[in-house]
Amino acid sequence: MQLSQRVYGEIVYWGTIVAAIICMIGPFISMKNPDKNVMNPFYLFAAIFEGKDTATIWQEVAGGFPGGHFYLDKFFYGDGFTQFGLAMGCSVAAWALIPAAFIYLFKEKNPTYTILCLWVTLLIILSMVGIVSSH
Amino acid sequence: MLVVLIISFAGMYLVGRGLETPPGGMSGTAIFAWLLGFFLLSFGIALVAVIGGIGGGVLFTPFMLAFTSVDSLIVRATGLIVAMFSGLVSTGPFMRGGLANLRICVFCAAAYGIGAFSGAQGAIFVAQNLGEAGEGFVRLALGLILLSLAIYFIVGGKKIEWPEVKHVDKFTKWLKMSQPYYEVSVKRVIDYPLTRAGWVLIAIIGVGLLSGFFGLGAGWAIVPAQNVIMAVPLKVAAANSGVLLGMGDCIGVWPYLLMGAIIPVFAAPWLVGQVLGGLLGALILIKVKAGFVRYLLIGFMFFACFGLLTKGLKLLGVMGEVPMWLNGLVFLTICVIVTVLIVRYIKAEARLGGE
Repeated sequence: MQLSQRVYGEIVYWGTIVAAIICMIGPFISMKNPDKNVMNPFYLFAAIFEGKDTATIWQEVAGGFPGGHFYLDKFFYGDGFTQFGLAMGCSVAAWALIPAAFIYLFKEKNPTYTILCLWVTLLIILSMVGIVSSH
Repeated sequence: MLVVLIISFAGMYLVGRGLETPPGGMSGTAIFAWLLGFFLLSFGIALVAVIGGIGGGVLFTPFMLAFTSVDSLIVRATGLIVAMFSGLVSTGPFMRGGLANLRICVFCAAAYGIGAFSGAQGAIFVAQNLGEAGEGFVRLALGLILLSLAIYFIVGGKKIEWPEVKHVDKFTKWLKMSQPYYEVSVKRVIDYPLTRAGWVLIAIIGVGLLSGFFGLGAGWAIVPAQNVIMAVPLKVAAANSGVLLGMGDCIGVWPYLLMGAIIPVFAAPWLVGQVLGGLLGALILIKVKAGFVRYLLIGFMFFACFGLLTKGLKLLGVMGEVPMWLNGLVFLTICVIVTVLIVRYIKAEARLGGE
């Protein structure tokens, strides 16, 4: 079994588990401290099930969308912490591909896959940063 | 993980009971009930999907778009989270066991990511510019995709367990993607030649586009693309598809996250349900034969397809609201057909077991 593959698999697996645990704790914090939320939990679900669009929902229950990385400022907020868990899960492949790229280069002597791993990592990071957008 | 889950939900219930409800707001108990409901539904979807051999997103997105009034962008964004996490959670075991091939996955993700990212951007563009007509077209298109998928599930499609490779092109040879693995059923290490790697890239971009636009898991398309075009053995292609979804959707999901279509407290229970249901489903899959789940999935697809097509036509102004009795009648008819098929399947299995 190739080391690159094993390392990638383990990082993704445990990263996903940690992200899921954070997403279990986040909603609890939301309910424990309803005032410490970006989105008011008392009005959130009704707004979602009334079919309102995303901009309206954020406007009504949070006073506007604070940006996808709002967890950086509101880390200890219920939904901020949950968003952190989501962001972690949604980027876990990038964190796993970086060591895999180095293993391909230095241990398995296969630079083609180093380049491919770094290319996919770059795509994830570009997507995360949001500098390429059509809207 | 299970302990954290139980403590967290018990805590939410206790806290929710004591919360004071503001005027016009939802009570704490109701918020708890929604969160628990989402989790249980997601857990069920993941369980059935894994046993049936598809991704959770294929069930989640059509169901939510057909039968709820939730904004389609929120549904598709959450659907992508569902699809992605069902892929991510299967990555560890597939990589550890050596069945999945990281080289093929990274190679395909380089193209899939571009497709998924463009698809997500397209979905946001359609939602922001085409209004209700766009919503109608999205549902109609998804309904048609689901219909072809259900038919493909019945017919079986052209899949080959061990594809034969007559000629390996220079590009594929240069990539050195093949990676031997231990095949339990034949008790030996198997190496497999691959071919047409360049062509698979084109197909995978298209698959990524669909996945990103509709918020579906696209394992149903990734597996045949690898198997038929590149000659990846069926089992390896199926394992790769989970890994690829987890990797590639990490690119496709961010446009949704950055424009607010993923609402954290709404998406979280769906994500957790996928992770736990996916893990349990994989365990059940190893221990029991559950071929009948396939009929449940096909039945579900036809019902969701009916919902999507009628809702799409309604949003386009072609027809009015479908009455409840008609929805019920279609549901009942599908239930009867599925039950008959499952009973026949179980009887056939029992006969084979007896022989």
